[in-house]
Amino acid sequence: MAPSAPLLSATSVTKAYAGIPALSGANLVVAPGEIHALMGENGAGKSTLIKILAGVVSPDTADIKINGTPVSIESTKSAYRLGLRFIHQEFNVVPTLSVAENIFMGRRYPRRAGIFVDWADLNRQAQRALDRLSIDHIDPRQNLGTLGLGDQMLVRISAALLDDAKLYVMDEPTAALTADESQRLFRVLREIRASGSSVLYVSHRLDEVMTLCDKATVLRDGRSIDSGALTNITHDDLVALMIGRKVEEAYPKAVAAPRDTTVFAAANLVTPGLKPTSFSLREGEILGIAGLSGSGQSELIRAIFGDARMTSGTMALGNAPYVPFSPATAWQSGVAYVPRERRAEGLVMRRPIYENITLAHLKSQSRAGTWLTPNREKRFAAELGANMRLKAVGPGQDVIELSGGNQQKVVFAKAVAGDPRLLLLEEPTRGVDVGAKFDIYSIIRERTAKGAGVILVSSDLPELIGLCDRIAIMRDGAITTVVDAAGLREDDLVNLCYGRTTGMVAQ
Amino acid sequence: MVFIRRYGTLIGFVAILVFFSVMLPGTFPTARNWLNITQQTSMLMVVAAGMTIVMVMGDFDLSVGSAASLAGIVAALMMAAGQPIWAAVAVALVVGLLGGAFNGAMVSLVGILPFIATLATMTMFSGIAFVVSGGKTISGRAIPEDFGNFARAGIPLGEWGGVAINLPNLSIIAIVVILAVWILLEQTTFGRRLYAIGGNMEAAHLSGIAVKRLRLIAFSLTGLAAAAGGLMYASRVASANPVQGSGLMLNAIAAVFLGTTMSRHGEPRILATVVGVIVLGVLDNGLTQMSVDSYIRQVLVGALILVAVGAGSIGQKRR
Repeated sequence: MAPSAPLLSATSVTKAYAGIPALSGANLVVAPGEIHALMGENGAGKSTLIKILAGVVSPDTADIKINGTPVSIESTKSAYRLGLRFIHQEFNVVPTLSVAENIFMGRRYPRRAGIFVDWADLNRQAQRALDRLSIDHIDPRQNLGTLGLGDQMLVRISAALLDDAKLYVMDEPTAALTADESQRLFRVLREIRASGSSVLYVSHRLDEVMTLCDKATVLRDGRSIDSGALTNITHDDLVALMIGRKVEEAYPKAVAAPRDTTVFAAANLVTPGLKPTSFSLREGEILGIAGLSGSGQSELIRAIFGDARMTSGTMALGNAPYVPFSPATAWQSGVAYVPRERRAEGLVMRRPIYENITLAHLKSQSRAGTWLTPNREKRFAAELGANMRLKAVGPGQDVIELSGGNQQKVVFAKAVAGDPRLLLLEEPTRGVDVGAKFDIYSIIRERTAKGAGVILVSSDLPELIGLCDRIAIMRDGAITTVVDAAGLREDDLVNLCYGRTTGMVAQ
Repeated sequence: MVFIRRYGTLIGFVAILVFFSVMLPGTFPTARNWLNITQQTSMLMVVAAGMTIVMVMGDFDLSVGSAASLAGIVAALMMAAGQPIWAAVAVALVVGLLGGAFNGAMVSLVGILPFIATLATMTMFSGIAFVVSGGKTISGRAIPEDFGNFARAGIPLGEWGGVAINLPNLSIIAIVVILAVWILLEQTTFGRRLYAIGGNMEAAHLSGIAVKRLRLIAFSLTGLAAAAGGLMYASRVASANPVQGSGLMLNAIAAVFLGTTMSRHGEPRILATVVGVIVLGVLDNGLTQMSVDSYIRQVLVGALILVAVGAGSIGQKRR
């Protein structure tokens, strides 16, 4: 074993699914003690490469060495034995078991007399794993299902950190984390690096990658395009490498300032999860909603969308009172919604694109509101799709066959199909690659240019600052502050979310 | 592999047809026998068509057999009491519709799982049928002749081999019901919405679909179809007893499942259900003609469902 050998080297990796290449000659070299970013658009081959390393997918050809020794990874077990740990979003968890049990899943529980589970020791060890991430608000004995998504992710990460490994592979670990939780994770990742282990880090959030990672490997169309230190490259060049073309701006500029007419107003809105909330929105304005996860953002959106029991308060759309009894009335009044979870809440995965788009507009997309007109629907969907650069075989293709970014475009197509006056967006670009992100931002800008108001809930702070006119901060189920987004810095926003008033707050 | 998954049931069906045609050359592949099969399966066809409506949403209804029996009993009791046939039929259909609406209310408004809700109403409907009939078969002079004659009559199609051939009235009803359900599920926004609910109930709800109302309506229609099937059965045997519909439920679910093996993503389709019913009907008809014991027949039908649905699961992604 040469002392200078890389921790992991995977070269000439190829893999084809049913004759269609997913990887055609990818190379990845990770040195000991580095945080290495794996970059690329959706469909570039990142997940296939990771699955090969995890032993889930067997490559057609691959030359994999660990510390200079050739290895073959046949199963998840052998990946584990080789010191590789994987943390990804669709990690297996059992919501009905405790946090501690989930952390120890797949491992031997500590025993008493070799037979009985030593629950006290189990919980103690789990607590230590949580401590490592400075997580003090999670009790190892509580059921995992009682935690929010962000907290569940933290538990999964702590589980992977339980024993020392050579390489931690993390796929979008911060997607469900708040800014503060992400910072804690980054601190631990830097500790891991200091101890000589490495991290392979996959994220669509470029700012994260630029500040956290040492090196990056960029995949495009199944090939590794470039690899090198991140200190020598700019944000824009990295994006250009990933998508194979130059982009001028991460966020398309607004074509016009918001108008003076109010498009939506809420006064003293109260629901079971929402304390009295009032605000108003002008035509063409984008209002961001920031806050720690679970501060009432979803509750606010659901209240406006008619999917919550409203105990008091009034709303108005334009000059008319707006009383949404159900999502159906919301759609009919011109309020459209892009939900947080596109697979679970946004799409009927095994139905065609056009059916998904017209689902909320069947009254106008049919004859007499009753008789289906599939050909007309398909033409309508194809036009909308072309307008937002939707990559699909045709409007009849099933949504399940599309990539994440294109699926999200279908959700957007459904939302804008009825020319909404108010667009409610929750995490509209989560898990969406750079190219598709820009397309989605353009769709949002297009709607505001037509005078629609937009309410944008996002945990992606640069996105909020880059797109919004104003940002409302929510804490404990109510809006506490509203600030102008222009000139706002990310750390200002983080401080606002935590209710800190240390200087810096925008006027 | 995909080919087998999608067309396996059809291939199996053709194989069954060839087998019986070879074994029973004189009686099986005749127009008369086929019209007979359409009549024998007409009740199941109607009930299975109704079952397809709820199964499109991912639900199912275990109470259709009891609802069919109850409808038959209600009609027979009314006719025995001297009410006109049309009134008896109408009331029986309304009973089925209301029974289905009750199922729908339990499932969609109260939120009980369809399996449990319809298991409960299955016993309830059956119990009510026993109570109102006193557990006896209502037959003979209590049933007007016209009611029983309806099932025996049909539209003459001409002669074949010196024998008059009729398209039985029951077959006509089955065809009309299939057509109606086809239009409902495949041509209307109602059907599109049901498929969306079956694919992703939460996404359907957030797309403005009135999920609760549609589930209620769908269960009502299934109950209505069950009652229609029960009336057809009562007409065919010119009598009604509180258990005569009990075989319909399992066969209806089996037929829909056989049908789902033929669709792209395993979703129920009405025309696929029709093939499923015909497969079951042909098996029954052929095996009876070959004098195969009825218990052996049950084993074979059960095995066939396992093979068809099992073949459909092979080749699908598993983890």
